[in-house]
Amino acid sequence: MAKMVCILLMVLAGASVLGARQADEPDVKSKIIALERLSKMQAFAAKDVKTLDQLLDKNFVLVNPDGKVETKADLLLFVQSADSLQYTVGVMMVRVHGDTAVATGLYSLTGVQHGNRLSYRGRFVDTWLLKEGQWVAIASLTIADE
Amino acid sequence: MDDLTWHRMRTRNWIVLFLMACAGLALPAQEVSDGGTVAAIRALEQEWTVGQSHNDNRVLDLIFDNALIYVEYGKLVTKGEYLARVKTASPELNQVVMEPMTIRVFGRTAVVIGTYLEKQEQGGHRDMKRWRYVDTWVYKKNGWVLVAAGATRVSH
Repeated sequence: MAKMVCILLMVLAGASVLGARQADEPDVKSKIIALERLSKMQAFAAKDVKTLDQLLDKNFVLVNPDGKVETKADLLLFVQSADSLQYTVGVMMVRVHGDTAVATGLYSLTGVQHGNRLSYRGRFVDTWLLKEGQWVAIASLTIADE
Repeated sequence: MDDLTWHRMRTRNWIVLFLMACAGLALPAQEVSDGGTVAAIRALEQEWTVGQSHNDNRVLDLIFDNALIYVEYGKLVTKGEYLARVKTASPELNQVVMEPMTIRVFGRTAVVIGTYLEKQEQGGHRDMKRWRYVDTWVYKKNGWVLVAAGATRVSH
């Protein structure tokens, strides 16, 4: 009997933690949307590699609209070496799975790099991870419109 | 026995109550070794490919999270829409050849990056496209589930 009570208490304890997590979900979604805007719209335009460095995990990986795989270093170099960049994002959707969040939305990236004009639009899918109390991006897929 | 099978069998066991109690608590990353995780994710990716090629959306239903974010040909589709399409797709007209993949494990999250070759046949015309995909898997109480997937066409 004592064993059953113990199990029941543990089930309830688990449920209460799950409930607390669900209650926090809107906050997490707002946070991720803010981080998406900060990393893309602001840091790209300002060529703020310091902010990007903080927001991207050291093992961050990007698949760009051409289907090429890029590392964090590649992305920082791209932003740093661009003459100008403008990244805009539309309405975003965020799904939270505990310490992992996935954000998706439509984007438009325009700019000039080494004198060449860049123009992409399509959809992105980003994966964020809560690591040591900070949300960091671990993967990003950018899909160009066909 | 692979990790997935073990986790699914585990849910049928009485011990599940204890595991459910702990579900809200953080599972230490070390509890799932990277080697085991990589093998489990690879097996799930394979299961997905086989399930899709056999129009078997029941298999996919088990490995896809209900809140799945799936981008197919640039369009966002729900799990329900994707499963419905898989069920009615004509596999002989659309063949997929999987190529090597890389799996990165971040504790209870895994990211898979790989390529596949899609061979399409429409109106007697054959077309081949290479796609690079990014899949995100999260470890939940019943095992690893796919929470996000999408692919972009590889430019020549």
